[in-house]
Amino acid sequence: MTKPMKLQGRTRVIPVANVDTDMIFHNRYLHITDRVEMAPYIFDNLKGWENFPAEAQEGDILIVGHNFGCGSSRQQAVDGFLALGVSALIGESFGAIYKRNAINAGLPLIECTGVLKAEIKDRDVIMLDLETGTISGRNGTTLITGKPLSKVQTDIYFSGGLLELTR
Amino acid sequence: MPEMTLTEKIFARHTRRDTVRVGDIVMAKLDMILGTDVTVPLSVEVFRNMGAEKIFDTDKIALVNDHFVPAKDVKAAELSKIMREFAREQGVKNYFEVGRSGICHSILPDNGLIRPGDLVVGADSHTCTYGALGAFSTGIGSTDLACAWAIGELWFRVPDTTRVVVNGRFKPFVGAKDLILHIISRLGVDGAIYQAIEFTGDAFKHIFMDGRFTIANMAVEAGAKTGLIPPDDITREFMSQFPDIGGEYLRSDPDAEFTRTLDVDLEEIEPLVAEPYLPSNVRPVNEVKGVKIDQVIIGSCTNGRLEDFRAAAKIMGDHPVHPDVRLIMIPNTPRLMRELLKEELIDQFVKAGAIISPPTCGACIGGHMGVLAKDEVGLFTTNRNFRGRNGHPDSKVYLSGPEVAAATALTGRITDPRELTKDPDYYC
Repeated sequence: MTKPMKLQGRTRVIPVANVDTDMIFHNRYLHITDRVEMAPYIFDNLKGWENFPAEAQEGDILIVGHNFGCGSSRQQAVDGFLALGVSALIGESFGAIYKRNAINAGLPLIECTGVLKAEIKDRDVIMLDLETGTISGRNGTTLITGKPLSKVQTDIYFSGGLLELTR
Repeated sequence: MPEMTLTEKIFARHTRRDTVRVGDIVMAKLDMILGTDVTVPLSVEVFRNMGAEKIFDTDKIALVNDHFVPAKDVKAAELSKIMREFAREQGVKNYFEVGRSGICHSILPDNGLIRPGDLVVGADSHTCTYGALGAFSTGIGSTDLACAWAIGELWFRVPDTTRVVVNGRFKPFVGAKDLILHIISRLGVDGAIYQAIEFTGDAFKHIFMDGRFTIANMAVEAGAKTGLIPPDDITREFMSQFPDIGGEYLRSDPDAEFTRTLDVDLEEIEPLVAEPYLPSNVRPVNEVKGVKIDQVIIGSCTNGRLEDFRAAAKIMGDHPVHPDVRLIMIPNTPRLMRELLKEELIDQFVKAGAIISPPTCGACIGGHMGVLAKDEVGLFTTNRNFRGRNGHPDSKVYLSGPEVAAATALTGRITDPRELTKDPDYYC
């Protein structure tokens, strides 16, 4: 499967620091092992974002704050976004285990200091170049540049996940 | 050969290379791979989807029933069942069934499954606890877990290290939990993100294994991949229970490069409390005292060991638990339960009005056996107080060590154990 290195999508800006894995996918749903079934429970413990799954659109790009995904080793907190069609996450920083889980699941994740201060509003359409880390507006102007995908990230992303790479 | 940190040395030994440097991406061999009843079922599905048939080594995998056990509902029972059947099918030697199981981060070291110098991964974020033995040990997700089972290796980026140098001795009623809360308040919850923390300094001559596990356990709350304590004589004494398993007692080279160094003087640390909703919201107990508490928990992978219960017992004496408080105590392992029975601490706690819980992570994660209702306030010796983690989104949790927790259980309000023991009405 060919994976695009340039993505275009609608943003969802979540300007909250330290969103932990229980806010993304609460442990009361841990019995769910099917990715599609995880989708409706994403953010049901993050005040103000409970409707996120209902409003999600294929290709959405999430813009998040510092230390997003800190907390537990919860794969569902990554898989649920994939089930909702989220195409990438751009964040000030990510919890270490969360970052690993996203890389392994083939969900592109870009670290970008200052992204919450950039001229990006909720539901804007942006373009994200994974190779350079450049984030630009619809008209092509660069808004901010994050860290590009590393080689491991790129390899796993192209394989469609660590699972495929290890197979 | 260039000077290396403890972390770099461990990676070098697991990649069959003489040296590795910070930032290197390596495939490294794993010594122990942990999974629990809430993370294993997803991994079993991934493992099957990969087309994998056999785990790489039946000795190097541990499967522990601890999160939603004894089964909290039918769905939880199904999770344990998936893990149990997988353990049988694969011939996993280190499968821990309810009754012989306990909190994974006590069960593994207490069964000699972790050696100094090991590279360990676990599908539980507090896997960093084993850093207390001088192992590099870190949390992973369920995809990683399945791949680790299949091939016994994983990719890592060798992390840089923040060094924390601790000197001095604890003042009375101050312990390992206060030390790590102090460190997290200075680093912040993402202060050591993607890094290893190495805890060192003269203070460790007086900090024994139970306290070391508490300290390493919360490294992840500063964002770190792991928290290591260089193995020494105290480590050797703990490991002497398992004379046949070996281990490598490694230390950072004198000129190894650290990203930064944080100095801590134990004399300056008082009993501390982390306020809702972050483990880094730390304040001296004196500034928070008086807050009404509905439920106190003493236990968890952070503070559910012998030293913790002894500290609580010393403060509780013959005093009853406050009528408005539910005190839940969770000894981490069956072995510890027997020890507490032998020392007659269980008798003391139950007489005081506490409830003794079987070993489970339930209450710590707001799963079962002590979940908080709307607007209730808890004071727990656990490790996280994120919004909604421990029950209703409008409940609150304060974090502390066992001394503050025990004092608070007696008064129903957050209490400084130093003041309580001076109170003329307290006859301990």
